[in-house]
Amino acid sequence: MRLNLIYIQVIILLCLSSFAIKTDAVDNVSVTDIQLLTQKNTFQAGDTITLQFSTTESITPLMYCTNSYGSTLIKPSNKDNKLYYRLPQNLSHKIGSLYWKLLNDTTHINGEIKIIPKTQAVKMETYIGPPSIEAGGTDYTMLVVIPTDELDNPLPEHTSVTAKHQFLNEISIDSIQTKNLIAYKTINSKDESGRMLVSSESVNINSKEFTINVLPAIPKSFTISAEQPHNYADGNQQTVFSTSILKDKYGNIVSDGTFVTFSITTSEGTVLKTYGTTIKGIAQARMIHPDHQAQWHIKAYVAGMAESNTIDLNFQQVIKDFNVEFSKHNRTITVGPLQSFMNQMIPDGLQVKLFIYKNNELLEQLNKTSVDGYVRFNLKPNIVQNDSYDFIIKTAGIEQSFNTKTLW
Amino acid sequence: MKEITNKYLIVAILLGLIFHGSSLFFTLETTYDALIHLFFADHYTNSWFEPWNYKWYTGFSVMGYPPLVHQAIALFSMIGGLKFGLFTVTIISILLFITGVYRFSLLITTNRTSAGYAALLAVFSSSFIETLHIFGQLPSIIGISVLMHALPEIYSWLKTGKYWYLATSLSLIAVTVTSHHVTPIFGMVFFIFPLIGMLIMDHAREQVKSMKAITFKVFLNSFSKLLKRIIKFGIASLIIIIGCILPYWINSKNNPITQVPIPHGSRDNFLEVTSSGLVFFLIPWGILLLLLPYIFYRYYSKRYLFFGLSITILTLLGTGGTTPIPKFLLGETAFNILTLDRFTLWASIMALPLFGEFTFRFVQGDLKSLIQLKFGAVYHRICGGVLAGLFIFMTIFTMSLGYFRPSQPQKIKMQPIVNFLNQDDHYKWRFLTLGFGDQMAWLSSQTNAMTVDGNYHSARRLPELTTRPIERLENSKFKGVAGIGSLQQFLTTPEKYNLKYTFSNDKFYDPILYFCGWQRLRQLENGIMVWERLNVPPIPSVLPKDDVPKWQKILWGVIPITTVLIAFLLNIQMLLVNTLRTKPKIIPEFLKFKSNYSKFSNSVLRISHIWSVILVLVFIYNIYNFYIKNDAQRHPENVILSYYDALDFKEFETAYQLINPASNKTIAQYMLEVSVTDGLLSSYAKLDAIETKILNQNDSSATVKVKTNWITPLEKINRVDYKSLSKINDKWYLEPDDIDTDLPPDQLFSNNATGYFNQGRRRITTEQTHHEDVLKQPVLEVLSAKLVKLDNSYAIIGEIQNIDNVPADVILKGTLYNDSNKVLATYNAKYHIKHKLMPKETSAFKINFEGIAWSQTQDSIPKAFNPDEFTPVEFEEQPTKFNLHAAGNVSSSDLYKRIVISDIEMNSKHINGTLFNSGIQEVTIPQLLVTYYDENKSITWVDHKFLEEGIRQQRKQDFNYKLMDNTPIQVITDRMDNVFVNGLPNTSISNKVVPNRIENHIYTQLQPINHSEFSYIKIETNAYIGNPN
Repeated sequence: MRLNLIYIQVIILLCLSSFAIKTDAVDNVSVTDIQLLTQKNTFQAGDTITLQFSTTESITPLMYCTNSYGSTLIKPSNKDNKLYYRLPQNLSHKIGSLYWKLLNDTTHINGEIKIIPKTQAVKMETYIGPPSIEAGGTDYTMLVVIPTDELDNPLPEHTSVTAKHQFLNEISIDSIQTKNLIAYKTINSKDESGRMLVSSESVNINSKEFTINVLPAIPKSFTISAEQPHNYADGNQQTVFSTSILKDKYGNIVSDGTFVTFSITTSEGTVLKTYGTTIKGIAQARMIHPDHQAQWHIKAYVAGMAESNTIDLNFQQVIKDFNVEFSKHNRTITVGPLQSFMNQMIPDGLQVKLFIYKNNELLEQLNKTSVDGYVRFNLKPNIVQNDSYDFIIKTAGIEQSFNTKTLW
Repeated sequence: MKEITNKYLIVAILLGLIFHGSSLFFTLETTYDALIHLFFADHYTNSWFEPWNYKWYTGFSVMGYPPLVHQAIALFSMIGGLKFGLFTVTIISILLFITGVYRFSLLITTNRTSAGYAALLAVFSSSFIETLHIFGQLPSIIGISVLMHALPEIYSWLKTGKYWYLATSLSLIAVTVTSHHVTPIFGMVFFIFPLIGMLIMDHAREQVKSMKAITFKVFLNSFSKLLKRIIKFGIASLIIIIGCILPYWINSKNNPITQVPIPHGSRDNFLEVTSSGLVFFLIPWGILLLLLPYIFYRYYSKRYLFFGLSITILTLLGTGGTTPIPKFLLGETAFNILTLDRFTLWASIMALPLFGEFTFRFVQGDLKSLIQLKFGAVYHRICGGVLAGLFIFMTIFTMSLGYFRPSQPQKIKMQPIVNFLNQDDHYKWRFLTLGFGDQMAWLSSQTNAMTVDGNYHSARRLPELTTRPIERLENSKFKGVAGIGSLQQFLTTPEKYNLKYTFSNDKFYDPILYFCGWQRLRQLENGIMVWERLNVPPIPSVLPKDDVPKWQKILWGVIPITTVLIAFLLNIQMLLVNTLRTKPKIIPEFLKFKSNYSKFSNSVLRISHIWSVILVLVFIYNIYNFYIKNDAQRHPENVILSYYDALDFKEFETAYQLINPASNKTIAQYMLEVSVTDGLLSSYAKLDAIETKILNQNDSSATVKVKTNWITPLEKINRVDYKSLSKINDKWYLEPDDIDTDLPPDQLFSNNATGYFNQGRRRITTEQTHHEDVLKQPVLEVLSAKLVKLDNSYAIIGEIQNIDNVPADVILKGTLYNDSNKVLATYNAKYHIKHKLMPKETSAFKINFEGIAWSQTQDSIPKAFNPDEFTPVEFEEQPTKFNLHAAGNVSSSDLYKRIVISDIEMNSKHINGTLFNSGIQEVTIPQLLVTYYDENKSITWVDHKFLEEGIRQQRKQDFNYKLMDNTPIQVITDRMDNVFVNGLPNTSISNKVVPNRIENHIYTQLQPINHSEFSYIKIETNAYIGNPN
C-alpha cells in the first residue's frame, strides 16, 4: 500500500514535471548555461548533501533524483546566480548510487553521486535457520548477520564479523566478512547431538543469542528383550517388550518419542503388532498373553532405518481339558471349571465359543466369556427348538464335540 | 352519526401490547428467523449503502432480501443496541397487525363491533403467535399487516376514483414490498383480486335493488365501468413493486436460485409426518377449524364470492404434500422453492374477520338468540365456554411450544467465542460453528470474523452448498447424507476456504473432525470446544466481491425508509383530519354495505354441529391410536421400540423399566454397565430406522429380530440383533444382554510417554511470524505413491513416514492431471491416514477424489442416509499423472499409539481379530487401516474400518474385517516425480535424511493372506479418544 502511494506520488510528480518542462520551454527563449560546481561525488550517509550549480539567469529548473528506494523532484534555491539543490533526508540517509538530472530544456546535465555507509555499527540484524539440525556433520544451519549503522544502512563490504557458537565444551569463533551487504556462516553439526548457542559480533556490537538443537540422526540396529510374569497362555497377563538403548551411528540416544514397531510372528503364521515410543532411547511395548499354546518370534523395527534381533517366546497351554455338563433338558450347558496352571480358576474373560450344528450345518454361534471359571449357555426354546443337535465347544485353542444331543 | 371510540379495538391494542410485548423477550431470540434478521440489521448498521457482506458464505449480497425491516432495526439500534432495535420493531409490528386486522375486518364485515371482536381475537390467534413467537418472521408479519392497512384505501380508490386514495394505497403497498417481497405478489392474487371482485359486486349492487338481482351481465357492466381505475391501480402498483426494490429483482435475475431445493416441513404429507401437520396445519388454523363451515358459508355468499375462491385456494395450498393439488397448482419448481406455511397463515388471517363476526353473532347477535331458542341458554353458555376454552388452550399451547419442543440448542454465551476470535489474530481465518442452531447468526453479528457457513440459504454461492439440500453446515446432522457429506468436504479441504477454527457445541461432530485431521485446541469457558486445523493459510487481505452499480446501492439505502416516511405522512394526515374534525368526517364507502345479522342460517348451525362432531371423533380416534402405539409393554414389538427409543435419547432409567425384573439386575448394575460402554455406536450414533420382526412367540416368551440403522458422523451402521423377551403379569419385558466379563491384569499400572508442548519463544507481541516463534516443519518422506483406479473412481495410495525427531501432523494433498498437464481434481486425504505421526512412524494413506456430489444429476440424490457415501468426480478426461504435497506441522495432541493387535484369525473372506488397549487412555473409536499388497509386495489398495465399540484400558475388543472383493485394481502410474514434502522434492529429502533406507523393512512385517487378487495385507491402528485424561 505504501509502495503504491509512492508510485502514485512519483507518477503525479512526473506529470507535474512534464508540465513544468513545457512551460519552461515556452518561457525560455535564450540559451542558459548551467554548470555543476560541486566537485565531491562521494558522501557519507547522514551528511547534508547539497549540489551547487552556477547559472546565468534567474531560472530554477527542477532536479530529478533517483536511487534504489524511489525518485523525487527537488526545487533549488537560487542565490547570486547559483543554484543549490539540497537532497532530502530520505535520499541522503540511504547508501548506494544516486542519479540526478537537471530538468532543463536546453542544457542536459546529469550525474551520479555515491553515498557510503558509516563505519560504526550500531545494530546487528541476525537470522538463523533452521532451528534444528541433524547430528552427523552433513546437516547445517545458516547464520546471517547484517551489521547496520545508526541509519539502518548495512556497513561497507568486507566489514569483519565474528560468528561465535558454543557446543558441548567448545566455543568456536569464526571471522567472516560482509559481502553484498550481508555476512553469513554455515554451521555444520558435529557427531554429537545437543544444544548449540550461536551469537555474532561486529565492530564491538554483539547480537542476541540463538539456540540450535542438534538432534540425533536415524537409529541403528538394536536388541530387544521380553519380560513376563510367567510363560503360560492364560490370556490375561501381559508381556512387556523393551529395546536396548536406541542410538544413531554416532552414539547419540535417539529423540524421545521415536516409534518402534514390535512385530510378532506366531507359529500359525499370523503377524501381531504392538508399538512403543522411546524414552531415553528405550521403547517399551506391551502385549497380552494368548489364551492358547503359542510360539512367538518377535522382531522390532524402526521402519526403513533399524531393526533388532529376533527373540522367541513359548507360551504353555494352561487349560488342558474342561468339563461340559448338559442339564435342564440339555438346554443349559455348563462349561467348566476352567482351571489355570496351578488349578486356580482362570481369570474372568476367557472366551468360550459354542457352535450348534444341525445336519452338519452351522445353526448358531454363541460366544461367552467366563465368570469365576465357568461359562453357562442357556438355549431358549424359541431360539433352539426341540430337536437333536451337534455341539462343538471351543476354548483356549482346544475343542470338544457332542453329537446328537436331544433338547426337549 | 356520532362516532364512539371502538372499545374492543382499544382493548385489543392494550392486551396485544401487554401480552406479546412482555412475552417476546422470552421467545423471540429462540425463534428460527429473528436472529437472522438481527444479523442483516447488523450489516446495515456497519455499512448502510454497501450491500456486500463478507461474513457469511465467503461473501454474499444482502440485496437478496428486502431491506426495510433490517434497516429499521439498524436505525433503532443506534439508540439502544441491536436487540433493542429488534424488540422495538417487533412491538411496532404487533401494533400494525392488530390495527390492520381491524381495518381489514371493518372492510369485510362493515360492522365496527365485529371488527373490534376480530381485532381482539387476532391478538391471541394461534397463527399470529406461531409466526411471531416460534418462527420469528418479522418481515412477513409487517408485510401482511401493512397490506391489510392498504386494502381499505384500495377499495376507496376504486370506488370513488379520488387520487388521494390511490396515493395512500400505493404508499402502503410500497412499504409492504420493501419489507417482504412475497407478500405483495401473492397478496395481489389472494387479497387484492378478491377485493376488486367484492368491489365490483358492491358497484353492481348499487345498480340494482337487491343482491339477488345481480346477474352476470350487471356484474360485467360494473366491471367495464371500473376497469380504467383497476388498470391504473394495477399498473401503478406493479411499478411500485418492481421499482421500490429494483436492486432485489436485478440481483435475483443475476443470481438465480439454482440450488437443490431444501426440504421443508410445510411440503410434507401432514398425515404421514404428524409433527409437520401439527406445526403447519393444526396450530395455525387452531380453533378456526371448528368454524370452517361458517367461514366457507359466509365467504361463498355472493358479495364475498371471490374471497371464497381465494381462501379455498389458500387452504388447499397450505396442505402441502398431503394432497397432490398444491404441487399441481404451483408447478414443480415453485412448489419446491416456496414454503407453503405462508398460505395457511394468509388463509387464517383472511378468516379472522369472519371469526370476529361469528363471535359477535354468538355473543350478542342472532346466533345467540337462535341457539338459546333451539337448545336453551345453558347450552349456549356451555358452547361458549367450550369454544373459549379451546381458544385459550390453543393460545397457551402455541405460546409454550418452544418450551416443550425447543427449536434451538440452549442459549450459548457468545462472549468467550468473540474474545477467542479477537485474540492472537484468530479472526484472520474463517471459522465454523457446529450445533449452534440459529444462534450462529447472533455470533456473526457480534464478531468481524467470517464463517464459511451462513443462515440465509438463498444466498449460498459455493457449489459445495448449493448442490446439497441443506440450509447450513451447522446443523448438518439433521440433514442426513447430504448434510454430513457437505460438512466432510469442508472439513477435509479447509485450506480452500481458509477455515481454521471450528466451534463445536455438539459432541456428535467430534469424530468426524478428528478423522478429517483436526485437533482439539481447548474448551472455552462456555463449554464450547474449539478445534483447529494446521497448515491453513489466513484469509487474503483483498477478497473478491460482486459489485453493483452505485445507483443501485443508493436506491437500496434510501427508498425503503422513504416509503415509510411517505406512507406515514399520507396516512397519518387522514387520521389527524378525522380526529381533529378539521373537515367533515368521510365515512368510508364500504360502510354503506351493511351486513344483515338478523337471521342466522339454521342449516349452517346444523352443519357446524355435524362438522364439530366429526372433528371430535377424528381427534378421539387419533388419541386412541397414539395410546396403543405408545403403551410400551402391550406387545413385544412395542417393548423393543420403546427400549431403543429410550436408549437413543439416553433415558436409561426408562430403558431399565423394560428389563425383565426377574433377571435380578439392579438399576445400579444396569447404569454401571451403560457407563462402561463407549464407542461410535453408544456415544455418537442416532437411531435412524428400526425394523422388528417376531421370529417366534408363545405365551411367555418371544424372540425378535431387530434391524437397526444408526446414523453416526462417520458412517451408517446397520445392525441386526436378536432380542429375547418374557411376559410377566401380562407385560412384556426384555431379557438383559450378556456383558463382557473380561478382567484386566492390573489394578493400577503406569505408562511412560513423551509429552510435547509448543509454546514458541515469542515475546508477548502481536508481531507476526516473529523468527523465534517459527518451528521447523517436521520432515516427512513419502515412501511410495501410486495413482490407481478401482471401478470408476481414482485414488492416490501410498505410504508416508515422519522421518523427523518431533511428532508431526500430516496433511496430504493430491492433484490429478491429464496428459496435457491440465488439472482435473484436487483433494486431501480424509480417513485413510493416521494424521498424527510420532517420529519415524509410518502410515498408509489413500486420497479419494470426491466430486461435489450430484452436480450432474439432481434427481439422483439418494433419500437414504449414508455419510460414508461419496460420489467420485466425473472426469471429462483421463487422469494420467498426479502430484502429491505433504505438509508436516509439529503437533502435540492425539499421539496415543497403544492399540495393539493381539490376535488374528482369517479365511479367504474375513479377518477376525482382537485389539488390545495396552495404554492408559480409553479409546472411543478405534480405526483399522488395512493396506493390500500384491504378490510382489507392492502396495495396491488402502481400506479402513471403524470399530463400533470402544476399548477400555487393558481390555480386548474383537473385530471382524471383510476383505475386499476380487475387483481388479488398475495402476495408472507409480511415478513419484512430483511428490513434495513441505514444498521440497521428496527425493532430495529422502537422499539426505535416510540415504540407506532398508527397503524390505515394511515387507517383512506383512501378513500373508489367501486371496485371489492380493497376497499380503498390513493392519495399522488409529484411535479417537473422546475424553483424554
